[in-house]
Amino acid sequence: MLLCALPLGAGAASDTVRAELQSRIARDHPGVPAADFALGAAAFDPDLRAKVATNADASAPALAEGKALWNRKFRNGRTLSGCFPNGGRRIAGAYPLFDARQKRVVTLENAINQCLKSHGEALLELGDAATMGAVMAYARSLSEKQKIAVRVPAAAEERFEAGRRLYYSRLGQRNYACASCHVQGAGKRYDGEVLSAAVGQAAHAPVIRDGKALTLQVRMRECLERMGVAPFPAGSDELNHLEYFLTVLSNGLSLQPNTWRER
Amino acid sequence: MTRYAIAILFSGAATIAAPLAAQEPNAAALFTRADKGHCGACHQLPPGKPASRQADLGPTLTGERMRTLGKVALREAIADPTITNPDTVMPPFGRHRILEPREIDRLVDYLLALP
Repeated sequence: MLLCALPLGAGAASDTVRAELQSRIARDHPGVPAADFALGAAAFDPDLRAKVATNADASAPALAEGKALWNRKFRNGRTLSGCFPNGGRRIAGAYPLFDARQKRVVTLENAINQCLKSHGEALLELGDAATMGAVMAYARSLSEKQKIAVRVPAAAEERFEAGRRLYYSRLGQRNYACASCHVQGAGKRYDGEVLSAAVGQAAHAPVIRDGKALTLQVRMRECLERMGVAPFPAGSDELNHLEYFLTVLSNGLSLQPNTWRER
Repeated sequence: MTRYAIAILFSGAATIAAPLAAQEPNAAALFTRADKGHCGACHQLPPGKPASRQADLGPTLTGERMRTLGKVALREAIADPTITNPDTVMPPFGRHRILEPREIDRLVDYLLALP
């Protein structure tokens, strides 16, 4: 079966999987420069690319809200900014990362909430565009153009593989896999929308739609609903592993967060 | 008395059945509705037929293509396309009960009548 044709067993190391999928997508779309996959669907659609450029300022309100939350003083005088090296500049390209002590994948959203928790502040709702979405928009803007470089240590291979397996699993009433649209169908149109390729999907998150910043996991949940699947909660192991897998596929691409989208 | 009761029963059934039939979506609605076939999300129709949006995840559905396939194979392809093509992206509309058997029949007739 085409969707499960990726190598398994000893050859399934994340580097092999990533290299094979990157070369398959490049082979399927020879007219698209490799760096352009970071644009998502806009890599295939000049009209969408022009609209993205026209709406470049659409992220301004979310960025302003995110910046205010990023620099807001906690009750103890600390800030979110203070929880990250260099105030959070050029860190996003390393997330999600594998926390060897906790033996789990930690997304940037998780790290933000860990910071809040350690300072006795209320956590942000992972799927809430007004708070976590805005903070993510700002935090990732601090790493704009940074090359994605997510590591998969040996202890995390299992998590990467869990994400890969989920991406290729047919789910729900419609029997789609994520890969049905974003590997087999990449560059084609579904319901009027150009389908982005698996490689690059993590590079342009969050997207800005109707002025709201939507994180990668929020968009994954929307996709799952379209597939007829009851979506996994944002921050669940399933979506964290999926985000880990997808971000590793984008290793080497530059972060281009806060891209405008109509739908 | 018995005949009278049966007559009442049947007239009641008729009044119930008529609104139910009227509520059933027509073939064009089955083709476009997101909670039904939503065929237009992946397939274009021939020129002259309204298509909801641009779509090319699946092939364009022309009447000639449908008639070449034939009624039985077309019905099977909608009910469970994975039987003949395990790699297909197309949902198994019958097997996963997205469409009722009578809805598949209406869709088949609609597709066979395409230009």
